[in-house]
Amino acid sequence: MTRGMVVPDVQERTTVLRLAFLGGLAALLLAALLARLWFLQVLAGDRFAALADSTRLRTVVSAAPRGHILAADGRELVRNRPALALVADRQRLVDDAGRPRDDESARVVGRLAVLLGLDEEEVLDRINDRRYSPFRPVPVAVDVGEAVLLTLRQNQELFRGVGTDTIPVREYPEGDLAAHLVGYLGQISRDELADPAFADYRGGDLVGRGGLEQAYESDLRGRGGQQVLVVNRRGAVIDVQSDRAAVPGLDLVTWLDLDLQRAVEEALAEGIVASRSILRTDGRLLPSTAGSAIVLDARTGGVMALASFPSYDPREFVGGVSVAYWERVNDPEQFQPLTNRPIAGQYPPGSVFKVASGAAMVEAGLVGPSTRVGCPASYTAADVTFRNWNPVAEAPMDLATALKRSCDTYFYDLSFRLWQQEQRQDEPDEVLQAVARRFGFGQRLGIDLPGEQAGVVPSRAWRREFWLRYREGYCERAEAAAPGSLGRELLSDLCRFGGLWRGGDAVNLSIGQGDMLATPLQVAAAYQAIANDGVLMRPTVGRELRSADGALVRSIDPEPLGDLGLTDAALRALRVGLERTVMEPGGTAVGAFAGFPLGEVPVAGKTGTAERDPRVPYAWFAAYAPADAPEVVVVVSVEEGGGGSQTAAPIARRILEHHFGIERVGLAGFVPGPEILD
Amino acid sequence: MSALTRDPSVSPVRRALALLGPLRDADLVVVAAALGLTGVGVVAIHSAKAASLAAQGLPATFYTGRQLLAAGIGLVVMVAAALIDYRRLRPLIPFAYLGSLLLLVLVLTPLGTSVRGSQRWITLLGQQIQPSELMKVALLLGLAMLFHETEGIPGLGRTLLAVGLTLIPMALVFAQPDLGTSVTYLFLTGVVLLVSGTRVRWLLLLAVAGIGAFLAALRTDLIRDYQLERLTGFLGADAPDADLTGALFQTRQSMIAIGSGGTYGRGLLEGTQTALAFVPDNHTDFVFTVIGEELGFVGAASVLGLFAVLLWRALRIASQALDRDAMIVASGIGGLLIVQVFVNVGMNVGLMPVTGLPLPFLSYGGTSLISWLGMTGLLLNVHLRSRQGLIGGRW
Repeated sequence: MTRGMVVPDVQERTTVLRLAFLGGLAALLLAALLARLWFLQVLAGDRFAALADSTRLRTVVSAAPRGHILAADGRELVRNRPALALVADRQRLVDDAGRPRDDESARVVGRLAVLLGLDEEEVLDRINDRRYSPFRPVPVAVDVGEAVLLTLRQNQELFRGVGTDTIPVREYPEGDLAAHLVGYLGQISRDELADPAFADYRGGDLVGRGGLEQAYESDLRGRGGQQVLVVNRRGAVIDVQSDRAAVPGLDLVTWLDLDLQRAVEEALAEGIVASRSILRTDGRLLPSTAGSAIVLDARTGGVMALASFPSYDPREFVGGVSVAYWERVNDPEQFQPLTNRPIAGQYPPGSVFKVASGAAMVEAGLVGPSTRVGCPASYTAADVTFRNWNPVAEAPMDLATALKRSCDTYFYDLSFRLWQQEQRQDEPDEVLQAVARRFGFGQRLGIDLPGEQAGVVPSRAWRREFWLRYREGYCERAEAAAPGSLGRELLSDLCRFGGLWRGGDAVNLSIGQGDMLATPLQVAAAYQAIANDGVLMRPTVGRELRSADGALVRSIDPEPLGDLGLTDAALRALRVGLERTVMEPGGTAVGAFAGFPLGEVPVAGKTGTAERDPRVPYAWFAAYAPADAPEVVVVVSVEEGGGGSQTAAPIARRILEHHFGIERVGLAGFVPGPEILD
Repeated sequence: MSALTRDPSVSPVRRALALLGPLRDADLVVVAAALGLTGVGVVAIHSAKAASLAAQGLPATFYTGRQLLAAGIGLVVMVAAALIDYRRLRPLIPFAYLGSLLLLVLVLTPLGTSVRGSQRWITLLGQQIQPSELMKVALLLGLAMLFHETEGIPGLGRTLLAVGLTLIPMALVFAQPDLGTSVTYLFLTGVVLLVSGTRVRWLLLLAVAGIGAFLAALRTDLIRDYQLERLTGFLGADAPDADLTGALFQTRQSMIAIGSGGTYGRGLLEGTQTALAFVPDNHTDFVFTVIGEELGFVGAASVLGLFAVLLWRALRIASQALDRDAMIVASGIGGLLIVQVFVNVGMNVGLMPVTGLPLPFLSYGGTSLISWLGMTGLLLNVHLRSRQGLIGGRW
């Protein structure tokens, strides 16, 4: 071929055409690539950027150690210990229906069942526990023995998907001491997870249930750590993008005196059990089914001890409570050991309420502190006769003596007269109810424990509301009752006039009976106010919060809730009356304190025996000591425990003996009061 | 050649410089585009490997140094390919073709080097080379020679001969296995047949035969399962429930890397997906992901723009070629360029299945870079001896 060979024109034109075709094809392909790039980078760029983050970032969460709960002297009531747990990989072992994923999984589950001594269904139930996140290994058994661990480690290939993990669990160096105060931990529930208040919780997290664990959840919990790791495509960690260390929960220092707490629990339990062998006048033994005991710091309202009987063992809740134990502690037949009676039990206060009604009568101007009022064996008002506990009439007495003798008729008379006065008012002042509320009754005091009840101070409005709610029932039952029967008469009266606050209601209220209900905590707070020169304090268990290194983070200052609003003379009359009750011959609690060194530690107190037909009366005793410079307030109540002087006062005495270091000479065990007074 | 270069009284240096004289008329746009792409490639390879090289304690220039060396050799080859009159090269073409074919056979013998199941390399004089890249050039030249001697419309015999010349190396490459490169050969032959004036109905007939053969291959064991999976699977790579452990992983990761670059990119050496090596082979077949992530849409589109410029020049040079074989070579280079860019970038952005095929000029790999710079030299050569070059008139 020679240079310059002339290509035929036709050929050249086709060539140009064909080259143009090739160029067009190339342009088309390049345009397709460009369009795709535009879509990926400009239109969907943000989505891919987010995807890029998700492929290269891994978040690792670390749990914060929960704060400890300490006694006032720094001793540990609750702390943490590492526990070895057997954990199972749910995604590997079971399918969406919760059944073993394949044959190998089924065999692993079978081996686990043998290893743990459970049946296979139980193992599957634990693996499928929906309270745990599917993305975290599910604890199947906590605190497994060495032998189990050894078996697992030596036969890893037989247990694919099963591993071990160290998880912090609560430890109770003092055993079941102060169980109701402490509370326990439980898995967060699905409902709670949906609640904004638990926004930063995840499935499988533990949350405080009951007691201080619940009340101080946000302080004790701490803040979990979060590490965002940058990984490469093999999952190897290349870098740490952010690292937030876990912040341990705060330690809660309480007002609790652990020795006193132990003594209080023992005294309550022993006293209740011992009282069950007391024979009543009707030939039955005292049931004494349950009870409460509270010790408050007289000045601050700090809770030094708080006991509820029967009790439970918080250690049963570590790593998850069994169904059987849960049912037992909630069983009414077992008197619901989980119930924290000092704050959740609501009982008629009986005579321990007389301090409030006495103060109210003085405030209403019906009597002065030294005015004498009669104390007959019975009192008749509006054709109804109300009896004093003492069938023998006593001489007219002042307020202090009325408390000492716990004379019912003294209060009946004054209360009925007050009711008559108020009935004439367009808008009754309801002085008795108002004073009762100032003593802390009829409302939650706001103690830092969950489950506190408000009790009831019945008033005209309360009566009417109650009646409106139940009227229909009264009327129907009245219709159904036999004509002319007492029941029919009573029910048709309730049906028609049940909404009225009548003289009888006022009479009953004056001695803490009728519809009046109070928690042991309210009674303790009322007596604390009397001991504290008339200033009611909010009862509080927590004292301060400290960081893990011991630095003070927040101190929970004693908080006054209000003043009783009594004159000095009236307050003095109450205190004298309470002192005489314990220390002067004829006082209702004198017998229970026989032999107590009252010269060294003068005690002021009040017995109470609250009727609640058809049950055996509830026994009460409320006291503070030393009477001249109060340090502690002690309240004991025993459900169906008979007389306050008989069952409750001796328990309170034991508590005071322990607190003031009084040796019990020659007396072992529980000695009930000599007779039923009050 | 001018008289200067033959005059013995002129100093050897001046004679050598005079040899380079024709380069004054070289198509500088082609040179700039080729060198620009090569430069971008070196930068992208550096970025792709900087982090992992540092992690392994190797010098950061481990890959870029070798690529630059290849670029240097490639430049020499380019200059040589531009200067030596292509008409003088014609007699050498059969040897180039047969030599490349021999190397391809050797690759399949135990002399070849296998990486991840593909036997594509052979060590020659201490250097690892990829004969299938050389074969590309040899095949193009062979076909050009074949059709150069025809006048008018190529006859059936020549056309079938061309198909035969293609199928032999194609089968050898397919056996490596390297689906991408063997498809490239096919496309190259299609382009050569197109521009050499083969009757349109024959072209269509060949296309139908090709598709039929492909479908037939599907029914046999010739196309392996994983290849089929790659051919079809990439379409679902951006589905949220895509199985990312299999063939889709690479496509998905590469789309994430490119997409996360956004409009302007994360900046050079700032690409997280690149640095963390989420995209496998991101210095070779997936080097485009580095550009996409770090330089964004703007950078990626610019690279495509450089390819478009090169392609336009190739077709322009082809249309101005004085000889038929020169025209075929120039348009064949253009065809190779477009098929490789489309297949490679296409698999990077999830438009095409994942097949091993480097991105011209950019992907790490000496043989590929040298052969592309060599082909650039051929383009310049044709240009220098085209009507355009003649009008320039200095030679």
